[in-house]
Amino acid sequence: MNIYVDGMGGDNAPEAIVEACVKAVGDFNKKIHILGSEIAINNELKKIGYTGTDIEIINTTEVVENEDEPSKVIRQKKDSSMVVGIRRLKEDPESIFVSAGSTGALLAGGTLLLGRIKGIQRPALTIALPSKKGTPTLLLDVGANADCKAVYLEQFAMMASVYAENIMGIQSPKVGLINIGTEANKGSELYKEAYVLLKESGVNFIGNVESRDLVESEADILVCDGFTGNVILKLTEGLSNYIMGSLKRSMTSNIRSKIGALLLKPALKKFKKQFDYKEYGGAPLLGVKAGIIKAHGSSDAKAFYNAIRQGIIFQEKKVLEKITNKTVEKL
Amino acid sequence: MSTFDKIKNIILEHLDIQEDDITLNADFMEDLGADSLDVAELIMSIEDEFNLEINEEEIEGMRTVEDVVEYLDKL
Repeated sequence: MNIYVDGMGGDNAPEAIVEACVKAVGDFNKKIHILGSEIAINNELKKIGYTGTDIEIINTTEVVENEDEPSKVIRQKKDSSMVVGIRRLKEDPESIFVSAGSTGALLAGGTLLLGRIKGIQRPALTIALPSKKGTPTLLLDVGANADCKAVYLEQFAMMASVYAENIMGIQSPKVGLINIGTEANKGSELYKEAYVLLKESGVNFIGNVESRDLVESEADILVCDGFTGNVILKLTEGLSNYIMGSLKRSMTSNIRSKIGALLLKPALKKFKKQFDYKEYGGAPLLGVKAGIIKAHGSSDAKAFYNAIRQGIIFQEKKVLEKITNKTVEKL
Repeated sequence: MSTFDKIKNIILEHLDIQEDDITLNADFMEDLGADSLDVAELIMSIEDEFNLEINEEEIEGMRTVEDVVEYLDKL
């Protein structure tokens, strides 16, 4: 298995990416190919003092920016770290590609260059969220498709069910549809139509789930369009950052609360870990014909390292093959 | 097979629509429900089928099936 990494994507590239790769080659005993400016990446490697041979730099001269129109990137930025990375993946489908770059461009590049699994209309980005029930809840689509058709949502549910069954070991995973009320007739036309499709789709559909129940819901999988999913994702991150920040401030405001904070420290650390996106790293782009992991745009080295780890598991557990087989079966 | 028929087959492979919906006047986005990603996919398939590369400026001007057919027939 080869690991290809977009060295230029994300807010903290290439520093955080290179740092994550150096740690990953040591921990996972795998070779990593970093795509991007050879000079910039070499500088980072020098800063860290890495002298090993498990990191190879594939020099590229262009960078995909968030402002670039996704559907045009593969034609207009052929020598970008992202496009070259996806092309490498196409030639070597047993490998994985990890990028913290533009989500839209990654989706378009993945779809156009690798192609979709037969029968899948749109790939989706998935994220694992912490939940009360103990096992994470998969939320998708969290940003690959801002505009969705009802049938996309049905397929997202099906792909995530396969993922949850095979990778998370959940028998007959429960699927909920994010909505503004629990009744069947709630929501926009898209969501009403999706409700009907999901009910008849053969997945274990438990009905609509309101976003306030995201963490407490019994659902293993929550589906929504990419716009809604992205809003939920960023709102959750923003709120948890704010809450942790506020807690820290009030707990260190005087001696008495400082002592209390000291006692609570292990519990708080555990709590923080549970809600920290950096622990989950990235999200697979489900539905394309190879393993692409999208790391968070603001990934630091820890988050990107976890995204690499996730990609390795994705490949080792043959998630793609299992989804492809199930999709064909259900067509 | 005429250029129109070839294009029609490519469209049918990519979009979930009926053959009758594909007329020369059909606008890819307005009438055939294609989004920007569908259009990009269609263009790549057309390039493969006709073994050519269509430049970005030409693509910008193509809105209907007829625009594509005319462009290909002129080559």
